[in-house]
Amino acid sequence: MYRSAARRLLPAVCRRTGHFRSKAFPVRFSAPIIHPAAFSAAAASENARNHKLNNFEASNSSSSSSSNEGRKPRVTDRPKAHWQEEQARVLQASLRHVISLGWSDAAMIAGAREVGVSPSIVGSFPRKEAALVEFFMDDCLQRLIDIIDLKEDLTNLIPSNRVAKLVRIRLEMQAPYISKWPQALSIQAQPSNIATSFKQRAMLVDEIWHAAGDESTDIDWYVKRTVLGGIYSTTEIYMLTDTSPGFAHLLSVVDFRDTWAFLDERVREAFDLKKTVQEENLDSVPY
Amino acid sequence: MALRSIYRGLKKNNLLSPLCNSCSHLHSHSTSFGYKEVREEEKSQMVGNVFTSVASSYDLMNDLMSGGLHRLWKERLVSKLNPFPGMKHLDVAGGTGDVAFRILESINNVGRRAMRDIHDDNVLDETQIFVCDINPNMLNVGKKRAQERGFGDDKSLVWVEGDAEALKFEDDSMDGYTIAFGIRNVTHIEKALAEAHRVLKRGGRFLCLELSHVELPIFKDLYDYYSFSVIPALGELVAGDRESYQYLVESVRRFPSQEKFAKMIAEAGFDKVEYENLVGGVVAIHSGLKF
Repeated sequence: MYRSAARRLLPAVCRRTGHFRSKAFPVRFSAPIIHPAAFSAAAASENARNHKLNNFEASNSSSSSSSNEGRKPRVTDRPKAHWQEEQARVLQASLRHVISLGWSDAAMIAGAREVGVSPSIVGSFPRKEAALVEFFMDDCLQRLIDIIDLKEDLTNLIPSNRVAKLVRIRLEMQAPYISKWPQALSIQAQPSNIATSFKQRAMLVDEIWHAAGDESTDIDWYVKRTVLGGIYSTTEIYMLTDTSPGFAHLLSVVDFRDTWAFLDERVREAFDLKKTVQEENLDSVPY
Repeated sequence: MALRSIYRGLKKNNLLSPLCNSCSHLHSHSTSFGYKEVREEEKSQMVGNVFTSVASSYDLMNDLMSGGLHRLWKERLVSKLNPFPGMKHLDVAGGTGDVAFRILESINNVGRRAMRDIHDDNVLDETQIFVCDINPNMLNVGKKRAQERGFGDDKSLVWVEGDAEALKFEDDSMDGYTIAFGIRNVTHIEKALAEAHRVLKRGGRFLCLELSHVELPIFKDLYDYYSFSVIPALGELVAGDRESYQYLVESVRRFPSQEKFAKMIAEAGFDKVEYENLVGGVVAIHSGLKF
């Protein structure tokens, strides 16, 4: 349920992070009961994209407002999404230049040239490099969701292994960019970007737990996500300085063996901690 | 307020003035020149006269009227534009070159140079900034200022005399188009917007910096008082030309509101039309993308 709603939301989040933040969409964790409602409201607006979004934007009281071609909303269904698709294409192309040019204007300009669009478009992204990083994060989440849908063997694993495997799959998507990843992290940590990056990580962690079969509806929901968020972040940072070689010695590919060992340890500790807490609670029962 | 009713009275009187013949109303369209109604053909002539007379003290008056803020507004415009080396940019109604100089400086910025690779330096030579203005006097002032700033020999800066409604540039040739404090003076705004759309490349950006409408309650009254009392008096004192600054203040009031102007830009074919209010709406930067 969350996953399908998230999938519908993602393109919108990817392209309209600025607008969405000022809407009713929850930035922080919200209680599980409210969550489905918020998701479905946002999903509904995605479905009625053209009309509804226009109205949403009209009611935006922030200093900038956007209006698309105001002629005939029905007829211009395709052109309305057009510029967003173009922007996504430019960002996709820019990703290919990140390894050499970093998460910067230069990569985006190179990407725009590649797609055949004037590099002026870079100025239209609200927070430039942050737009590129956020696009990448959303793209990775989407790929993770696709992988979860395809992979059936997750159910064979115990929960802690499932979680570890999913985190590993997700972090492996970042591996090609690892040399420039510290820059991406610093961009995400900037005050103007931190709300969006936090929201993206929250969605990621939620997705992983959902795929691992979590069905908690109380404080556990928050605890699990917070803990996994912590594990994910620390593993990500560990990965930045990990130069352990993998099995492909001949290709001298960094395979992050140490990182995965670190990850497994942390996940195991978290699950052990959970067991300990549960035992404590049971012990406190007077029977 | 009292001021406004006085001006409305003046406007009624002006309708009877020799500026507009009642019989010519039947055959030609009329447009606004401040609070006056004039024939379209005459508006550009009258605007021309205004700028010919203010050209020499234009920059000084800008500084005085805005308290030096106009510099910040132009900086904001250029940072929104995000210029890059190798850019082909057109600055319309940019007579004295303020925006163009800032763009050039931004591209040639030493700090940026440090981050570049070899490829970019070759591309740097392709940068071209066209400054287009309908009034040759304003262009001359601009050329002089360019000399003073050291851009005199810079091949990237090209001064062109032209009309915003009928640009002499080719289709799909510009990466960026800016018009700062110029679009109110154009007789047919839709034509200027259409021309902007025509000359921009795919992915090109349109940016318009213009004095706009203030809606905040008390600030609005203060602003009105300042505009109608202080500015024409300043104009008289400094530039010796009260009429032109009266025109300026009136033309700001007659210009469409932020929302309406955004709709006009969208109708010209631009996507992702947005505007940003500066100083509570005294100035607005509208932007659009061409695809």
